[in-house]
Amino acid sequence: MMKLSNIYQLVVSAFADFKRDKVRTGLTSLGIMIGVLSVVLLIALGLGLKNYIEDQFESLGANLVMVLPGSGFSGGNGPAGLAGGAEFDEKDVRTLQKLSNIKYTVPIYIHSSLISTADTEKTGNIMGANEDIFSLINIKLQTGEIWTKADVDKKTKVVVLGHTIASDLYGNANDALGKTIRVGGLRVKVIGVAKKMGNQERDGAAFIPYTTTFGSLNPKKTFFAIYLGVASQESVSGVKDEVEKTLLKRYEKDKFSVTEQAEILSSINQIFAIINLVLIAIGSISLIVGGIGIMNIMYATVTERTGEVGIRRAMGATKRDILLQFLTESTMLSLFGGIVGLVLASIIVSIARHWFPMAINLFAVILAIGVSSGIGIFFGVFPAKKAADLSPMEAIRYE
Amino acid sequence: MKTTSSIISLKKVNKEYLLGDGSIFTALKDINLEIQSGEFSAIIGPSGSGKSTLMHMVGLLDKPSRGEIIVNGKDVSKLDDNQTSTLRNSYVGFVFQQFNLLNKLTILENILLPTFYSRKILDFDPLERADMLMEKFGIISKKNSFPNRISGGQQQRVAVARALVMKPQLILADEPTGNLDHKTGNEIITLFEELNKAEGITIVMVTHEMEIAERTRRQIRVLDGEIISDKK
Repeated sequence: MMKLSNIYQLVVSAFADFKRDKVRTGLTSLGIMIGVLSVVLLIALGLGLKNYIEDQFESLGANLVMVLPGSGFSGGNGPAGLAGGAEFDEKDVRTLQKLSNIKYTVPIYIHSSLISTADTEKTGNIMGANEDIFSLINIKLQTGEIWTKADVDKKTKVVVLGHTIASDLYGNANDALGKTIRVGGLRVKVIGVAKKMGNQERDGAAFIPYTTTFGSLNPKKTFFAIYLGVASQESVSGVKDEVEKTLLKRYEKDKFSVTEQAEILSSINQIFAIINLVLIAIGSISLIVGGIGIMNIMYATVTERTGEVGIRRAMGATKRDILLQFLTESTMLSLFGGIVGLVLASIIVSIARHWFPMAINLFAVILAIGVSSGIGIFFGVFPAKKAADLSPMEAIRYE
Repeated sequence: MKTTSSIISLKKVNKEYLLGDGSIFTALKDINLEIQSGEFSAIIGPSGSGKSTLMHMVGLLDKPSRGEIIVNGKDVSKLDDNQTSTLRNSYVGFVFQQFNLLNKLTILENILLPTFYSRKILDFDPLERADMLMEKFGIISKKNSFPNRISGGQQQRVAVARALVMKPQLILADEPTGNLDHKTGNEIITLFEELNKAEGITIVMVTHEMEIAERTRRQIRVLDGEIISDKK
């Protein structure tokens, strides 16, 4: 049985050795430090992106059912499934409107395009929809007013700007009100500016009546998606079935998909689990390189300290004592690098998160500490074994 | 006259090494040797005579190719590493020519080093015993110094204190005066004499200096791996 005082002794003696050669200790730990730093940063990045995308979807509201082209998210092949498939039109919107339990039926036309004033231009999303979009995704106005059903019917050239795009164009978002701007070649009048929603995509969007897009912007008069606001959470699955049945009369099974929020979130989770694995694997390469660095130094240390091993053996240290002594050192070196790497990563994340979605979770912390001590043990075993196997007699004569 | 029980006895001990060219070098040939408790002996011989190999056998640092080494009535040449290390820890204390102190440890820590590797519960307080030894050897004021800050004579006293801390049955000294000037070397031998006479501590010393060997009570001469004379 290992006595507690012996472990303490091993740690103290390892510290004494580190103190004697601070530069080497630092450089040896550096490899692991960089490895842990990169792994934790990559995980933080993956996690941040995942949280960001989840937030974007969650802000759409819980009772939202989306009719999307292609096999959609639920097809198991991720966002790639969105490509190809049905192009919805007004006829679909009218058909779906007739179904029960649906509060809002909103056709969605999305197009990334230039939005310009007389002197500036920015890229933003044109979002063509009907008047229910404001209720469906809960858009609150900072100034002005929203357009109405009458505007949709009359194809009025009006726009409600997201907060970000409005302030990007005019400095002060309120100044946009009443101005005429060009949206993808269409001259429209700003009648309202939305409050900040905290959703990059929507804060940068220009909302116009979908009918206004018909023409040069949307000659085929089709929609990317149809969003349905379901009256209550309980009726979501019933509505989904009903919508699917209705659309099957017109489209083939794999040309469209009817998806609810929860499904999309779970596929996002799946995708990010894989992305995270890949990121960890990439980061692990630097951890392995760091581990080899430690092994290298420990081998050199063993040769350098052959005499010490001999003295300790002569004093009655067993092979196991020597093994533990060197293992303690390599583990502490690695752990030290790991902790410094983790602290650095936390600092970087806490600064970078102002511009980029990043987050550190308990998993990253446990992984960093666990992996760095694991590496210290794994890469320390071979040199430590070499030290333990030195013949005491020869070791003591070594100069 | 002190009690004369056998501390270690070597029976027909042979040590052979396989050399790089495939030939066999015989370092020790049919050695029979018995060390009694309370002895103060010298193993004498020129370099290459096998005296160091013999000392390694007695100190349990090396194992014979053939033959028996009996310690406390048991053949120790068959023990595994753990058992040998444990026995070495409590049975023998080493003093080396190069002092072999660990420079990163203080004097006190160096003296305590063997106690860290003790497998049994000590019947003394290591700190008290270390203090007592340092007091006795006049190095107590250097307690917290490091070995490279004190003189060679003082370093060798630290080494002797370290060898004694576990109350071993035997002190093995390998050329203990080899790195010291004449006067300081003399002091160390005087210290050995006192320890042997006053406390009955068994000391075996390897040396090639006749002047030093003659101060012991038994001279074992080794040449070409054999004991050629054993004078008591």
